[in-house]
Amino acid sequence: MNKRSSPFNLIKRVAFNFMIIFILVYLLFPFYWAVNSSLKTESQLFMTPATALPRDPATLELSPTLQNYSAVLQDGQFLRGLANSTIVATSTTVLALIAGSFAAFALGKLRFRGRKPALYLILAMTMFPQVTVLTGLYAVITALGFPARISLIFSYMIFTLPFTTWVLTAFFKELPDALMESAQVDGATPFQTFRSILLPLTAPALVTTGLLAFIAAWNEYLFALTFTSIDPSARTVPVAIAYFAGAVARQEPFGEIMAAASLVTIPLVVLVLIFQRRIVAGLTAGAVKG
Amino acid sequence: MGSNNDSTVTKKKASSRKPKGLSNLAKREERLALRLLLPALLIIALIAFYPLAQVFYTSFTDRVFASGQETNFIGFDNYRRLLSVHVTTLDPVLDEATGEIMIDPDTGKEVYERPLDVLPREPSRFREVNQFSLFGNRYVIGATDPSFIQSVSNTVVFTVVSVFLELALGLAIALVVNSKFRFRGSMRAAMLVPWAVITVVSARMWEWMLAPSRVGMFNALFDWMGAIDSPIAFLAAGTYQLPAMIAVDVWKTTPFMALLLLAGLQTMPEDIFEAAEIDGAGKIRQFVTITLPLLKPAMAVALIFRTLDALRVFDIFQVMLGQAQYSMASYNYFQLIGNRAMGLASAIGVIIFILIFGFAIAYIKMLGVDRNE
Repeated sequence: MNKRSSPFNLIKRVAFNFMIIFILVYLLFPFYWAVNSSLKTESQLFMTPATALPRDPATLELSPTLQNYSAVLQDGQFLRGLANSTIVATSTTVLALIAGSFAAFALGKLRFRGRKPALYLILAMTMFPQVTVLTGLYAVITALGFPARISLIFSYMIFTLPFTTWVLTAFFKELPDALMESAQVDGATPFQTFRSILLPLTAPALVTTGLLAFIAAWNEYLFALTFTSIDPSARTVPVAIAYFAGAVARQEPFGEIMAAASLVTIPLVVLVLIFQRRIVAGLTAGAVKG
Repeated sequence: MGSNNDSTVTKKKASSRKPKGLSNLAKREERLALRLLLPALLIIALIAFYPLAQVFYTSFTDRVFASGQETNFIGFDNYRRLLSVHVTTLDPVLDEATGEIMIDPDTGKEVYERPLDVLPREPSRFREVNQFSLFGNRYVIGATDPSFIQSVSNTVVFTVVSVFLELALGLAIALVVNSKFRFRGSMRAAMLVPWAVITVVSARMWEWMLAPSRVGMFNALFDWMGAIDSPIAFLAAGTYQLPAMIAVDVWKTTPFMALLLLAGLQTMPEDIFEAAEIDGAGKIRQFVTITLPLLKPAMAVALIFRTLDALRVFDIFQVMLGQAQYSMASYNYFQLIGNRAMGLASAIGVIIFILIFGFAIAYIKMLGVDRNE
């Protein structure tokens, strides 16, 4: 690994750093603008031209305000939404990863009849637009009598399970068969092989799909809006934000929405920071030489 | 392709085993596979089977959403209404006095007949979707549901352009982040920020940045650079609507693509590259002959899920364009919630389903992910 990074010359290094800065600006600028807007008052938001930092309309001096943040944090809805979103997205991810990696092991590494139909069946589950399945899903949820949070976890399977299954299938398939065979020769059952050899080897894929599925569940709006309509205490963050009616009727609290958006993005970034080591830690040298 | 060879080797090995042992082993493997698939299949049966079956069934009825009205089975009528398209020529209007083609005094362009006069009225009225000129003739595309046909074309253009851009950008970012540098860890977290911003909120955020006056970031910026004379109405003007949607989607979902490709890059065995290095293969050669082929499975899955999401795009169209311009899913929403035409909405769902299925199969065949054994 070290060998490959040593012969960088100066130009290459500058170009590389320039590229990193370019990528970072592209990806982060809109978020910076959201934070910028969240620190502005109503009148600062409507200044022309828009300012890159919160400035006083008259004197143009720097004057950020935290009023949007305090309004958001005083709203019990928002904090409860944060808790609900954490519960729902975590459970969804865990369930989708367990069911998905089991299925993916079968689909990627075992030989059995009906492999292809099973693969397509699982993908077909997520091919309808959410709006279309909403009424049918609502009927199912009502019939099963699930409470709101549980019904969210299960309905999120519609888009997370096919995703985890397909991604993990692709990754399992790429692992050399020799690995499984040598484990079997050593007397391991296929399931033991799966748990103690294949799963650790695909850790980057597991963490990646887990993170992506978590964020997808965290951000989902339509199902959450529908299934929490009977139980407002189960509202997740996106729904809670949508219900920020604003103190003034018909006036949209844009600054508060941006403050809330900035607040909910931070825990996700921390989550990624914690897990990102795992994304790279995947293949330890020599593990596949078997 | 390493695993291709691997699996043929396994096959040979398997067939050289004693027949009895093989069938026992195969049976055990089959039973294990079914047991492992069980949780996923149970979840599908519980949560997805009824809603999906209901969509198919409802698409053949005239069911009205949230009403006690009687539902009738109407066969393919919904599909016929959505998909009837008619293309016909438009003749130029001749000036009665001179016998020449009439020219509009305001625009200076030739005048053609009104599309409504030439488009069929049976079984229901066809209305204009678009006009185009080909080989000196003028044609009009009419449809019984022009909004839907327009939404299909919007969605397909949106999907093809944005998924292509996301793949290119995502690959570039994944390659950068895959190489070693000091702040790689923070970079990996930073790169997920767009994907982490709640979709509905990010649509509002972009709406604000694209505001049609200098309150919006883009107009303020362009004005400051002196690039524009007057503010651009990005979301109201037809020419900017689709590009704006694409820009927002590319920004939002490139991290998704980049992270999946990065995982693909990370699971590649180092020793192949070391061997290639020893053999004297340059970086570009290594990329084309090793990285890209090995990345295919990850790329295929990323493409399938991105395309699938793009074809179902809803939030950004709904929030930013509302009824001004539809995607298939936002038109679907409008028909269901706005018009309560649940039968028609279901038919739209089925059409989207079929379209997505087509794309998925095309990817699978093209990228050869399905090759097994």
